[in-house]
Amino acid sequence: MDIIGIDVGGTNTDAAFIRHGRVVGMAKVPTNHEDLIESTKQAMNEIMAYYATSGQVQLHLSTTLSTNAIIEGTGSPAAALGMPGPGVNLAALDLGFPFFPLGGYIDHRGREVAELNEGEVLAAAKEAKRAGAEALAIAGKFSHRNPVHEQRAGALVAASGLGFSNVTLGHRLSGRANFPRRVVTAYLNSRVASLQTHFCRIIENLLEMEKYRAIREVLILKADGGTMSLEESCQLPVETILSGPAASILGAQALSKHTQENAVIVDIGGTTTDIAVIVAGEPLYQRRGADIAGYRTLVPALFTRSIGLGGDSEVHVQVEEGEVRFRLGPRRAGTPAAMGGSRPTPTDAAVALEMARIGDRGRARECIKELAEPLGLSWRQAAQGIIEAFTGQLVEEVRAIYQRLAGIPLYTVSEILAPPDFHPRVMVGLGGPAQVFIPLAAKLMGLPWEILPFSEGANAIGAAAARPTAAITLHADTELEVLTIPEIGYHGRIDRALLFDRQRARQEALRQAASYAQRLGLPDHEDVYIVEEESFNVVRGFHTVGRIHSIRAQLRPRVRRIEVTEDIADGKA
Amino acid sequence: MLTAKHKVGLIFFPAFDWCITPDHPEREERLLYTRDQILEEGLLDVEGIEEYRPFVAEDKDILRAHVCVPSVAARVTESHRIAVGGTMLAADLVLDKKVDRAFALLRPPGHHAMRIVHGSRGFCTVNNEAIMVEHIRHRLSPKTRIAIVDTDAHHADGTQDIFYNDPGILHISIHQDGRTLYPGTGDVQERGGPAAYGQTVNIPLPPGTGDEGLLYVMEKAVMPILADWEPDIIINAAGQDNHFTDPLTHMNVSARGYARLTDMLGPDIVVLEGGYSIEGGLPYVNVGILLALAGLDYSHVKEPVPQPTQPPQVMGQIERITETVMRAWATRDQVDRSRLFGEGEYFQRHRAIYYDTDNLLEEQRELIRLCPDCSGWRLIYSKASGYYSSLTSRGQIAAVVIPWLACPKCRAEAEDKYELIAKEGRCRQVFLQDVARDAFTNWRK
Repeated sequence: MDIIGIDVGGTNTDAAFIRHGRVVGMAKVPTNHEDLIESTKQAMNEIMAYYATSGQVQLHLSTTLSTNAIIEGTGSPAAALGMPGPGVNLAALDLGFPFFPLGGYIDHRGREVAELNEGEVLAAAKEAKRAGAEALAIAGKFSHRNPVHEQRAGALVAASGLGFSNVTLGHRLSGRANFPRRVVTAYLNSRVASLQTHFCRIIENLLEMEKYRAIREVLILKADGGTMSLEESCQLPVETILSGPAASILGAQALSKHTQENAVIVDIGGTTTDIAVIVAGEPLYQRRGADIAGYRTLVPALFTRSIGLGGDSEVHVQVEEGEVRFRLGPRRAGTPAAMGGSRPTPTDAAVALEMARIGDRGRARECIKELAEPLGLSWRQAAQGIIEAFTGQLVEEVRAIYQRLAGIPLYTVSEILAPPDFHPRVMVGLGGPAQVFIPLAAKLMGLPWEILPFSEGANAIGAAAARPTAAITLHADTELEVLTIPEIGYHGRIDRALLFDRQRARQEALRQAASYAQRLGLPDHEDVYIVEEESFNVVRGFHTVGRIHSIRAQLRPRVRRIEVTEDIADGKA
Repeated sequence: MLTAKHKVGLIFFPAFDWCITPDHPEREERLLYTRDQILEEGLLDVEGIEEYRPFVAEDKDILRAHVCVPSVAARVTESHRIAVGGTMLAADLVLDKKVDRAFALLRPPGHHAMRIVHGSRGFCTVNNEAIMVEHIRHRLSPKTRIAIVDTDAHHADGTQDIFYNDPGILHISIHQDGRTLYPGTGDVQERGGPAAYGQTVNIPLPPGTGDEGLLYVMEKAVMPILADWEPDIIINAAGQDNHFTDPLTHMNVSARGYARLTDMLGPDIVVLEGGYSIEGGLPYVNVGILLALAGLDYSHVKEPVPQPTQPPQVMGQIERITETVMRAWATRDQVDRSRLFGEGEYFQRHRAIYYDTDNLLEEQRELIRLCPDCSGWRLIYSKASGYYSSLTSRGQIAAVVIPWLACPKCRAEAEDKYELIAKEGRCRQVFLQDVARDAFTNWRK
């Protein structure tokens, strides 16, 4: 099967055509911010030129639709109803959107402490509607342990005839704890739901057209680097945020020779450099969830750190005790002088020193010289200083990331004595300036390096390389005889709870994950495994009266390996 | 998003894979529900609450406060080393000004562990706070004035033992009256050794004491004493078993009461001690303490179960105890110490110490030199045996302790004594604890 990967990015929309695991064509069009669909269509048109005439095509789409809506504050006006119970005073939280606190309260084990007040739910929903909300989020504290309040409130609102375009229930978005993030995530989801639904309808209509007939399936990229179906994306649109950065990491993974070991991925662009971490072949996730536009969410997302350092960065000069020091970024200076700009950039330093062969070397040298002379330096000294500063700053950031990772909290004796090993074994670089800076940075860190053949478009290749992801969180409390799987809204009794041991809990988690993946129509749905598990006694007095099992099972995340033929790689396509 | 008024370093280490025994109160899931509550409240997202990973303490760290018989390795598990390391890290974060305050929310606890360690007592093996205190003095100066306010429902007999003759330390323990609860000690009349008389302050409270009584004692006794003594650093050994749901005690304090206490005390470092209401108490108390430390609103923290009211007769008792404590504090320098400690060259005391967790009985004879120039060197003879049979004894040991700021005469005498006891060979092991030189040696038969 052929796969088209499209990443609608901030500046450009990139597309890649993959046949039998090889890149056969790439395309790039400028992104039209007023009309993302238009950009998508253009990219589709261009990349379909590589279609061979027969066979089916799968389209993998990474869009900034939700990301932009959240950043720009657009989408449907929405409000949130919440059951916060006692604890942190939410009034101080300043969520930035209308929030209606309601009675009703579930404790940490999922027991109902105070009943939901149904009259209050309807009154708040009505008030939200009156104040202009078109979409509604409902989230309760500990709803991942017991979703009944959210479900009941959702049913009441649905039956009320208030006509919200979307009602999002918090527990469906994540099995993880964090009530404020649950409220925010549900709110954002409800806000962007209509936009995503509209987008999906247009895509479906496009596929009816003759020229796109070969495209049989459309998959949408998520922040965790996985894909989901168009239909699912209308339910959980918030998961599509930050899929662009995820696509770039996937692209690097798909193209790299280093598939199993720890690696640091460094994507050097003109304005910024994005750093990601691979541990034993799998990308690292954000610990608590994606952060976007000041909102902290529970959306599972790949970990990336973006720094203001790139080929077009501003060059600053500091003179300390007669010694000249260069400091780069965080802002962009503009087009490098070698390419027609007027201010010196790291790219100019590389061009002047013949480390890169682009643009006009004479102009680059001239521009560096103008900077160097008042400082009493030769152009060569200045250029070398800039290159060293770039490498130094990059390595400093990479080390800081690993230093933080080396200090992440661990909660067991065994982990503290043998902490997880994040340390990179190789530096994988991509982006235009990578050829210049990656070897130097890697050398400084004592690492081997690899430079991927694409300076641009790795994001589109990554989109094509993505495979579905799906996860469930099973929480079984054998004393209360209750089993909860929030992602599918399940909350039911455990039969013969005494016999529900760790082995049974594992089997159940795997079975539920597989059937969830199957319901989502995912291939390889049997390939599920356990990613996290905990099992604790429940003791009353001095007797064990039950056990709590908490297990997270997921479809094995995979990335297609993608090969590149020389002629497609940079500069020759 | 919430922003903390005071930057708080949280060292959370629940030791999910360590227990005394699976049904013991000190077991794997003790902090499970606390973790769930803290995560669900989103407290780790608060700007200014930063989580840190504990390090593993070394023998030397532990030996500054303890004499472990026969060795640190024989007495201490890796889990203890991590709890100690986490507590020391709490101090480091504050001393290095990385945070304003630190909370070592970790287990196993330590405040029943005394200077000599033959085993575990009161679920404790080594004393987290005491080791931290010695770490702080080792880093800063032996002259650093440190106050420890222990708010566990059990008397902090271990911490009291380690510092009872230490003029640099003010140790205040508020606890349920020892006549009604383990370990039985902690009477107002236990006021410290010859060199630090009055700096051990015990405030035993009657069973049934609630927020009102506890906060009364804080306001009328603890805060004035602290203001008077002017410590450089305040440590709160925050046991949480005064909570009204605790299964081992008989107190009526709420999570908000604990938060209010924390708010009033404004400690630099908080260290968890006991507290075994792992579902109904700890999650709420810890959220309350963390919010109070960060200077955030804790008025909405509330347990699912209503708080019983403090019995009416209790308040009168508390007022009388407070009065006694304050009178003792005010007159501590007027007491004729020669009547309490004798006029000889040495003060001597005999004690029997029971190790409930390991069921051992230790017999101890201690001599402290009544020195006019320093707090005096000490000699401790100690023998532990199984509670039911002294035949199980591993024999007598001796420990020579040279205190901080020891005068040359005490130092010389102590060093000679160590050599002499070793030469005599009557003890199976002789220890020399010399904090000022950070030297801890021992001789074995």
